Amino acid sequence: MPLLEGLSYSSDKNVIVFEIGAAYTRCGLAGEAGPRCIVPSQVKNKVTGKVEKLWDFETVDQLYENLKDFLFNLYFRHLLVNAKDRRVVICESILCPSAFRDTLAKVLFKHFEASSVLFAVGQVDCLLGLGTHTGLVVDVGYNETVVLPVYEGIPVLKALQCVPLGGKSIHKRIESQLKETGKITTGSKEEEPLSTVPDCLNEEILEDIKVRCCFVTNLQRASQIHKVTLHGEDQSKLPLPPPGVKYPLDGNRLLLVNGGVREHSCEVLFEQDNEQQSISTIILDAIINAPIDMRRDLAENIVIIGGTSMLPGFHDRLCVELYHLLKNNKYQNELSIKLFKFHKLLTKENCACWLGGAMLGALETLPSKSISRDTYLQTGKLPDWCCLSEETEEQEKATARS
Amino acid sequence: MSTFVDVNIVKYLCSCGKRHPVCRLYLCRHCLKLRCGDCVQHEVDTPYCPNCLENMPSAEAKLKKNRCSNCFDCPSCGHTLTTRATSTSVPDPEDPNKTTPKKMYYMVCGFCRWTTRDVGIQDKPVASGGWEDLENKDTKQIFSLLETYEKIAQKEKAEKERKKYVRRRSYLSYAAGMDKYGMVSVAAKRKQGNLANLSIKENEEVSFSMVKPSETVKTFDPLPESIFTEPIQLDKMSTISQRHASADFQPGESSALYPLHKHLLIRRSLRCKECEHNLSKPEFNPISIKFKIQLIALHHIPEIKIFSLPELNLKKECKVVLTLTNPSAYNCSISFLQPDPKEDNFSNAKVELPKHPIVVAQRDDAALYDDGSQGHEAFKDDPSVIAYRKSNKVGFFMKVKPQNPDEDVKLSFLLKHEYRNTAIALPSENQEPQIASLQHQVFINLGPPKKK
Repeated sequence: MPLLEGLSYSSDKNVIVFEIGAAYTRCGLAGEAGPRCIVPSQVKNKVTGKVEKLWDFETVDQLYENLKDFLFNLYFRHLLVNAKDRRVVICESILCPSAFRDTLAKVLFKHFEASSVLFAVGQVDCLLGLGTHTGLVVDVGYNETVVLPVYEGIPVLKALQCVPLGGKSIHKRIESQLKETGKITTGSKEEEPLSTVPDCLNEEILEDIKVRCCFVTNLQRASQIHKVTLHGEDQSKLPLPPPGVKYPLDGNRLLLVNGGVREHSCEVLFEQDNEQQSISTIILDAIINAPIDMRRDLAENIVIIGGTSMLPGFHDRLCVELYHLLKNNKYQNELSIKLFKFHKLLTKENCACWLGGAMLGALETLPSKSISRDTYLQTGKLPDWCCLSEETEEQEKATARS
Repeated sequence: MSTFVDVNIVKYLCSCGKRHPVCRLYLCRHCLKLRCGDCVQHEVDTPYCPNCLENMPSAEAKLKKNRCSNCFDCPSCGHTLTTRATSTSVPDPEDPNKTTPKKMYYMVCGFCRWTTRDVGIQDKPVASGGWEDLENKDTKQIFSLLETYEKIAQKEKAEKERKKYVRRRSYLSYAAGMDKYGMVSVAAKRKQGNLANLSIKENEEVSFSMVKPSETVKTFDPLPESIFTEPIQLDKMSTISQRHASADFQPGESSALYPLHKHLLIRRSLRCKECEHNLSKPEFNPISIKFKIQLIALHHIPEIKIFSLPELNLKKECKVVLTLTNPSAYNCSISFLQPDPKEDNFSNAKVELPKHPIVVAQRDDAALYDDGSQGHEAFKDDPSVIAYRKSNKVGFFMKVKPQNPDEDVKLSFLLKHEYRNTAIALPSENQEPQIASLQHQVFINLGPPKKK
């Protein structure tokens, strides 16, 4: 038995693919069509017993400990594979902070002894899952929305756009709206405003309300809502809200989530902020910032990824709103685009980056594209797109040699 | 029980520099060093199903994506599903007017009462198995894409190899250009003879056709009008954890939930990262709770616990009673040393340690049931040092003088004891076990001093 096991290990070692997102982490094996598991990106501190979010770290040491525990759980609870001498693909956001990448690399190379790690930019590799090279990738995540034009496989960095709008801002909006209008009933007592019961809402409940009750309304109703909420028109002009929901908080309390909350909370993504930016405007901005000969291709290859885009009605609203914005003076003068086309993903929106990483990991070229442990231990550094010093050093060496 | 309950009060220094309670540590018998969960190599031993407790060979587990083929989890709450039998009447094949009873099976969750009938899955005529899995219709397209990429990758790799070869050939053509010495024919011959075999056949283009890229759409379906008028039923919408549990499908409605194959668990074995000897290896059988190898520190290192704590008055000497437990099968002599004050940034109290070594009796499982007092006479104890003795335990006094009013009273000392290493000696050859002297740094947090 042990002999056979040894053979099977050496013959093909599966490559592990991680995508550690701000809210959820997807992990699985390369060459598969979907991730093995999707788990919250959080870890329970062994000493204090508190649940800590991976991305809310104060020091790099804290992040190191948390990542170690978190990856341990993924390796031995979900993937059931040995971590040592295994190749890893990490799908990261293009805006991933260096502190996080460096710590992750340290954990993988030094603690888990991975043989090589490939850091793939999720917003680019998601195109692999579609079979295309060109696309305007709209990644609607938890903390932020990133729009990145990719042309023939090359990210057009100068046109990169992002706004801090995503799942988290919806949660905040739901919370503030509930604190204003939410009511709580218990079995016997009358309805009370939510503000009388402090601390009964947490991120989990807010997320659940978002997932099960909220939706992105259509543009016609939204513009009426915006007139009231943003421009101070009379409340009576609001469209008739959808029916409210009685949301059970715990054994004996019901939270009344009214239709307004259900419909209005997702508007935070589309209301233009003080700089007149929203998810839809940055898509057009990205197209404007891209070179003129790419624009049409980009507009006809929009790829929407990220978990927040899975809200009901999101795609339709974004599409209608893009056409609506084109009539806006600002864009009318600069853009002559008449048609937008959107790609249909082969997977769920929240796994699109992972799928691209899983395809990269299954290819023979993986070893030549990733950083091996030896190189990492020698240099102690990771190459990064935003840091050109290393590449120039190498080039200098190469020119010196020739 | 304090070994496992208030574990964070007394900690030992692991060889990696971290402090851990003794129940979380291992002792490597070959390096004679303490190891913690971070400085050992974790290895996957055998996958098994936690429900049917059957071992699955790792190759098979890999094939089945680490899921048991027979056991299912409830997609709604995650509890294990149980199979129930009902009888239905089916028309008799011989006489169409008559019916015969037939046993049919369905699955039900004992916790949340979800059943396979809720989502319209047909009852099955066999008790186990026969439950088809959902099929992801996009998988085919994904794999055909992947196939294409693999071909491209192969080509890329081949081109890299060819580059190496091209350099060599250019060398040859250089030689051919200098045809002064009539080397062309020789070179050509050599090329045919040796190098042609090595080269990739250039004409044979790796043929692949790019699959057509994914479709684009111009518009999406708008929200149904009913969402604005009809009340939603919360229990018909699945929660985000239910959706993520089946990552491929992520159904939005409860009616689309499908039973999930139970995820396997593994037994882990631990290996010292330095000497690569096993520190812990479970038995193969998943039902067994025994280990083939288990080198936890609790079985080898004397354990320190706090027995009783007096009032901790500032700047006054307080007598703390600590318990020493000897886990080994021989009498163990234990001495205490002050740590190097330069390296010790933990302790904040003055400590007077016992000056002479304390001998602790061997562990005797039979003595636990025997309240005889044979052991006592064997040791000549100084009553100012030894508080009590019982089988393999000794209570001893430690004089502590708290210095800092604002912090918890903390102290640290070195614990030195002998260790008979039976790992290297072979009992069959009547070898004497090797005796080593081990030293560990212990950190104790006695809690806050008394407020005035």
